[in-house]
Amino acid sequence: MSALTVAVPAQNSVQRGVIDAYNATRRYLIRGKRQPDIIFGSVLFPVVFVVLFGYVFGSSITVPGGNYHSYLMSGLFAQSTLFASANVAVAVATDMNEGVIDRFKTLPIARSSILIGRAISTMILGLPALAVMIVCALLVGWRPENGIFDAFLGFLLIELFAFALCWLGILVGLVAKSSQSADVLINIPVFLLGFISNVFVDTSKMPVWLRIFANWNPVSSVVAAGRSLFGNTIGPPPAGVWSLEHPEITTIGLAVVIIAIFVPLCVRRYSRTSR
Amino acid sequence: MTSFAISAQHLARSFGETHALVDVSLDVPAGSVCALLGRNGAGKTTTVRILTTLLDADGGHAQVAGFDIATQADKVRGRIGVTGQTATMDELLTGHENLEIIGRFTHLGAAVSRRRAGELLQQFDLVYAGNQLVKKYSGGMRRRLDLAASLIANPEVLFLDEPTTGLDPVARSEMWEAIRNLVARGTTVLLTTQYLDEADQLADTIVVVDRGLVVAQGTPEQLKASIGRPSVVVTLVDADPAALEKVRAALGGEAEIRGRSVSAPAPDGLVSLGDVVTLLEGLGVPIHEVGLEHPSLDEVFSTVTHRAGDHVPGLAAEVPA
Repeated sequence: MSALTVAVPAQNSVQRGVIDAYNATRRYLIRGKRQPDIIFGSVLFPVVFVVLFGYVFGSSITVPGGNYHSYLMSGLFAQSTLFASANVAVAVATDMNEGVIDRFKTLPIARSSILIGRAISTMILGLPALAVMIVCALLVGWRPENGIFDAFLGFLLIELFAFALCWLGILVGLVAKSSQSADVLINIPVFLLGFISNVFVDTSKMPVWLRIFANWNPVSSVVAAGRSLFGNTIGPPPAGVWSLEHPEITTIGLAVVIIAIFVPLCVRRYSRTSR
Repeated sequence: MTSFAISAQHLARSFGETHALVDVSLDVPAGSVCALLGRNGAGKTTTVRILTTLLDADGGHAQVAGFDIATQADKVRGRIGVTGQTATMDELLTGHENLEIIGRFTHLGAAVSRRRAGELLQQFDLVYAGNQLVKKYSGGMRRRLDLAASLIANPEVLFLDEPTTGLDPVARSEMWEAIRNLVARGTTVLLTTQYLDEADQLADTIVVVDRGLVVAQGTPEQLKASIGRPSVVVTLVDADPAALEKVRAALGGEAEIRGRSVSAPAPDGLVSLGDVVTLLEGLGVPIHEVGLEHPSLDEVFSTVTHRAGDHVPGLAAEVPA
């Protein structure tokens, strides 16, 4: 109809989906780069945690036959994935209240692409914080005892879990009415999962009911997988807790299940046209 | 095939107990400008959100650019441009980056997107601000950038939801100018507005909506005519009560005195103006001016929306049952 039609290159829907996701990721990375305060905060946070838990609490916690700093680090690495998902929830809720998402919805792009872009860019923007955390860990005496390759596998598992949790954060962000309510909502699971776990202490001295929760807590499996691959494990896993006896497989399985459940939920929620 | 760029039949949409749209039908011929005129909460934005595939309708159906909004939403999305009420530009990106990303999302490819971004910045007088973050843009600049973004792929149909609300008069007339230029290029435009002068200035047809219903539609002239008769207004040299009363009596029962003027309904325009002049000559009253006054769109608007509210069938072109 219009004489000024702009040529649109022909692509199939899969190609277009990949391009859309790439463009969305790119957009979030540019935005991320323009918010140095947020990157600074995300880098500072783990430093504070290593100091706070490693020295303030760590000074009066001893682990039999081991070094508490080494024991603790895997826990802090895993816990940082939880905090990252909380940040995602708030950021997504903020996004949803801005007109820009409405515009994206009127464009002929795959509905999943904006969310995939958000998830992937979150992982990329989280890398500086991870790097700083590793340096801090090395400074306080943590060592990957099983060598570089196993340590790399350990971080890969933790990042896989982080990616899965990212989708939990996205869903909370989509469901929440405002960024404040997203903050409240997401911090309930973050604190329950992050603290009732083996992140800071051995679960064996907890009261029975707490111990059951802590042992079967997915975060505990991730921490155990990290400790196992970093060679920081102290003592045998609690008897009869399959997830802690096979923490690597459990972590991979959990991540896959979380992604398989949450990604479609997120896309459906995002696509729902009515507010 | 239809020659309507937008054709909607009996659109309805409720949010819980709130019936935002009850029954809205409209046809917009290709290449024309249609204004959806109504107060806040009349259903304008809901109509636009439905037509732009942002919202599902509870009832009715519509075609935009020849495609069904419900079953061919992706085809519709590839052919429309939308500028919403809220700013949709990313504050953390530059103007150029914003346009480019929209182009990429419209599958123009990186190179074409960059080229179009440059062209649009030029078209909307934003070249100087192209590399500034949108955060630093003024309200008028943001609206122009938003409009530019809607045009990245040269859409067949453009939706503008209250394009000038909140703009200062200068930015507003700049926006009008930009819209007129688009129309000159053949783009079909559906715009919503609360401003009668905006509808009058820009639109070929006006659809007045109130409480989710179309209460009137037609050209601005038809709507003005529908409210009926122009008035004869006789203004005297000075506000002499006796003279005014003389004129009022001469003009008949329906005449009213307003200040130093007397106005009376003039059912058949110039014929009666001639009669009035003849009549006045015999009175020997000093006359300053005799003229015809047409009803304004404001009067049309308040008349039709008032009628709809009172469930009285209006004079207007169309009142759904």
